[in-house]
Amino acid sequence: MAIALERPRVGARSARILRVRRWVGLVLTWATLIAALIFFLGPFFWILTTSVKANEDYFAYPPVWVPADASLKHYAALFTRSSGARYFTNSLMISTLSMLAALLVSLPTAYSIARWRFGGSFLSLVLLVLSMLAALLVSLPTAYSIARWRFGGSFLSLVLLVLRMLPGIALIIPLYIMYKLLGLTNSYVGLVLVYTVLYVPFAVWLLVGFLRDFPVEIEEAALIDGCSRLRALVSVVVPIIAPGLAVVALFSFIATWNEFLFAIVLTGIETKTMMVLVTSFTSGGTDMFYGEASASVVLGVLPAFIVAFMLQRFLVKGLALGGTKG
Amino acid sequence: MQIGPISLTRKRWEPFAFASPSLALIALVILFPLAYSFWLSFRNFDLSVGPDSEFVGGANYVEALIRDSRFINSIWNTAIIIGPSLVLELLVGLGLALLLSRVGRGRPIITALLAIPAMVSPVMAAMAWRMMFGVKYGALNNLGRQLGVIDVYFDWFSSPFISIVAIVLVEVWHNTAFMMLVLLAGLQSIPQELYDAGKADGAEGWRSFWYITLPLLKFTMVVGLMIRLIDLTKLFGLIFVLTFGGPGGATETVAFSTYLAGFNDFRMSYAAALSYVIVGGVLVLTLVFMWIQRIREMRAA
Repeated sequence: MAIALERPRVGARSARILRVRRWVGLVLTWATLIAALIFFLGPFFWILTTSVKANEDYFAYPPVWVPADASLKHYAALFTRSSGARYFTNSLMISTLSMLAALLVSLPTAYSIARWRFGGSFLSLVLLVLSMLAALLVSLPTAYSIARWRFGGSFLSLVLLVLRMLPGIALIIPLYIMYKLLGLTNSYVGLVLVYTVLYVPFAVWLLVGFLRDFPVEIEEAALIDGCSRLRALVSVVVPIIAPGLAVVALFSFIATWNEFLFAIVLTGIETKTMMVLVTSFTSGGTDMFYGEASASVVLGVLPAFIVAFMLQRFLVKGLALGGTKG
Repeated sequence: MQIGPISLTRKRWEPFAFASPSLALIALVILFPLAYSFWLSFRNFDLSVGPDSEFVGGANYVEALIRDSRFINSIWNTAIIIGPSLVLELLVGLGLALLLSRVGRGRPIITALLAIPAMVSPVMAAMAWRMMFGVKYGALNNLGRQLGVIDVYFDWFSSPFISIVAIVLVEVWHNTAFMMLVLLAGLQSIPQELYDAGKADGAEGWRSFWYITLPLLKFTMVVGLMIRLIDLTKLFGLIFVLTFGGPGGATETVAFSTYLAGFNDFRMSYAAALSYVIVGGVLVLTLVFMWIQRIREMRAA
């Protein structure tokens, strides 16, 4: 009551104070955001300008922040002298193949999970057994709790999270020995196989979401017309959920592109990826050979820029499930 | 259960047939190697000695946890890197998420720009920062000199302490965006009515943040922190490029020293044992984390 009575008297003044306060708040918000942008994007700016500088600019003081005469000669040197072209192609090939293989393998699985619920089916038993095995090896209780808190507690989420927790180093040691025995090191096939399998759970999980949104009626119509399940999936469902497939594909591409541990252990001189190539520039101490190194970093981070903008809506999901780290 | 013509034509083997390729691959490429590695960790398989190995019981585990001071040090190093990184990522991420939630126009583009570092490979992040840290020609030292902050070139990897500061800085740069995105999503899921109701009860500014935002954001924070914690125990690429474990092994993380045991010393069995020690450690760590959270919740209730 008292407040209501006093309001008209202080109204004009407090409105002005409020306006000033809002304005100051806005300025502070933007100032901080711009500072954050400088911090988070600054290194990209530095490597980009470094990669187009002339050689003498590296040793100049005051430093050359924006080179006056930009040239692409370090890129040319990277591609020819450091066989960057080969490693860039390797990265592209391996990432593309893994992406396609992961989609191919995970689409039917996602479909079967989305269409036939888990309750009591044979599939759920198999998944449970597999996840229990992995869980025993890694950590059932933790994953289970995370699953219950956030991801709705389904078996699939459980399998995913267990795999998410698994340190790559625990897998690379036995894989290296097995690959040596089978002669799979230093081959596209070997690396693509690991990447595909590591990525399948994530792809399945994303695809299930897209498939559940898909209207079942369309598919049932195809089935009534005499389509087989596989045929319905390929020629009815896939064209319609194509955007979803593209999301999964881009995430799996960048995950493979970014992966380092498996790449450095399992590749040889012919199959090195960009991530492995770039580490070879570090041998020159703290001040290393800048031109080609920065050019290779620019090429190495390019997919990240593309994906960050194209997949904005899905970034949280992608990052939370390790969709970009491989 | 579907009813109608579809359920009549459904074949029992179909769900399994559709799922089998990926299940088979997971079994073959993940589960089998893990089991093999577990078996291996009780043997003394050493590639630099030869292909033969014999059963040695728990000797590898005993060595890892009691005698191998290098590995024990690496546990300590990992902890020293994880602690400050988690705190900073949470605080900076929360701050940015709060700021972004106040911005109307331009939010999508700023969010995407801020998120880019998190999409980059750790190796690339570390390379970019090596060029920032470069002693004579790096951006930071030159900027510092131009602004008059420093007069001698500063070596970012000269001592263990400074190296760890540098690693934490890069780590925060690399992964704060993840925290920010998760917390931003959490913030946006808090219904506006709660703030309106709080306003009616006199809760504005800090009070509404403290009594409405924080409690409702807690789950999101816990999940985000947990994911970061799990990821940080795998820290490898960043170390490989930034310091290669130096100076004097001061920045060797558990994943990195396991890598060295396996692919520098070729002691495969020992590396397998180390990797299972890491798995056990991650398990214990997350359980403790959850346990603390549980106690705090019970106290709050």
